[in-house]
Amino acid sequence: MSRGIRRAGLTLAILVVYVWFLAATEVSLPRFLRGLPWMADFLRRMVPPDLSVLRSALTGALQTFQIAVVGTTVAALLALPLGFLSARNVVPASVFYPARALLNLFRSIDTMVYALFFVAAVGLGPFPGILAVVTYTVMTLAKLYSEAIEGIEPGPVEAISATGATRLQVLRFGILPQVLPLFASYVLYRLETNIRAATILGFVGAGGIGFYIQTYLRMINYPAASAVLLVLVAMVMGVDFASSRLRARIV
Amino acid sequence: MIRIRGLRKVFPPDKLALAGVDLDIAAGEFVMIIGQSGAGKTTLLRCLNRLVEPTAGEVMLNGSQVTGASSEGLRSARRQIGIIFQQFNLVKRASVLENVLAGRLGHVPGLPSLVGRFPRRDRELALATLRVVGLEEFASRRADTLSGGEQQRVAIARALAQEPKVILADEPTASLDPKLTESIMGILQRINVERRLTLVVSQHMLETALTYGTRIVGLREGRVVFDGPPGAITPDVVEDIYEGGVR
Repeated sequence: MSRGIRRAGLTLAILVVYVWFLAATEVSLPRFLRGLPWMADFLRRMVPPDLSVLRSALTGALQTFQIAVVGTTVAALLALPLGFLSARNVVPASVFYPARALLNLFRSIDTMVYALFFVAAVGLGPFPGILAVVTYTVMTLAKLYSEAIEGIEPGPVEAISATGATRLQVLRFGILPQVLPLFASYVLYRLETNIRAATILGFVGAGGIGFYIQTYLRMINYPAASAVLLVLVAMVMGVDFASSRLRARIV
Repeated sequence: MIRIRGLRKVFPPDKLALAGVDLDIAAGEFVMIIGQSGAGKTTLLRCLNRLVEPTAGEVMLNGSQVTGASSEGLRSARRQIGIIFQQFNLVKRASVLENVLAGRLGHVPGLPSLVGRFPRRDRELALATLRVVGLEEFASRRADTLSGGEQQRVAIARALAQEPKVILADEPTASLDPKLTESIMGILQRINVERRLTLVVSQHMLETALTYGTRIVGLREGRVVFDGPPGAITPDVVEDIYEGGVR
């Protein structure tokens, strides 16, 4: 009985909070409906795409791709030691807890914020973009790596130690063969998400296709902007397709 | 060859697994450890190469200390002790040959091994041990594509590749059917006879233990309650080891 009352009270409290959130964020259906014609107008002005900007769109897309690939691969390597240092079954608690805390701290800040920071530090262009991608990806990959390491079978590791192998040999022959395919799959997955993350890096001057999207939108040149968006969609879909095919083969 | 004195193991907080074991095992013996589950068979085997760290007592191998040895000393002892597990413990995603080569890790130069380079002699030795267990043609297959019995034969090859003085086997046939049990025990027996290798095997099947062992050690509650040749096992002894629970 009292349990039922408590549950009803909790439901009511959640509803009240939710309504407050709706009000605070000015959610309004009429306002959305009034905006519909403007959206339609925006989309109408985007067609036909202005294919004369294809060249700069492709240049931008290539740079975004390069930022994502370089950033992801550098991060994939840097995350290796960090991943092992934050795996519960590899290091003592005195190492594990600080390492995990560090990962969670830096992972809570998004690539975009790092981009602002690095643009201020090293200037405009793709390089601060790469630094931003590396910083965020190292943290996410290290976390994924460490979870893969914690999920390994202990039996084979024990068997390798029992042959008189050194700690490094145990790592190489007992642990790595179990986790490397998972690592590769995570890296490919991060590459897919980093391509998307790297598209908006250009908005803050950190290189890539985002610069062109933002520029054309500001110049109210919607046909050009839509041409760039088309290139972007094609690239993201292409990379997603290739990467997911590869991932399916690895694991 | 192996000298065990006052070996005790207490798992925290207070589970007594070995309550003071004294044993001397001579070169060339085929020792079968029998007893109920929980009698301490697995713990005894694992204390011999310190996969389980004993609480007290000492283990000596060919006159050198295993217990209390430095990490270097322990690795040198482990090189001489092959071990086979109930669950085979192969690295599933690695090839059969790579699994067997792992047995050479204690012998080969460290740095090249880390990039997967092994001296020709060691590769040939690994292939030769695969031949001993009849799996040479499986060398390049991934370990997890093999059946249970085949995986255990690969594990035997890995242990042999160590060129050990002793092979420990912890319930090597408990995950296998009776026919495969015969095949695996047969291979172990052949190794014992032909290579004069010392074998210490835990075995929950009394019949199998009596068929293959040259010496039976019965454990109960972490203590040796019988030690003698298979012929000396009488119904009373069985009763004593298994506390009436006939297996």
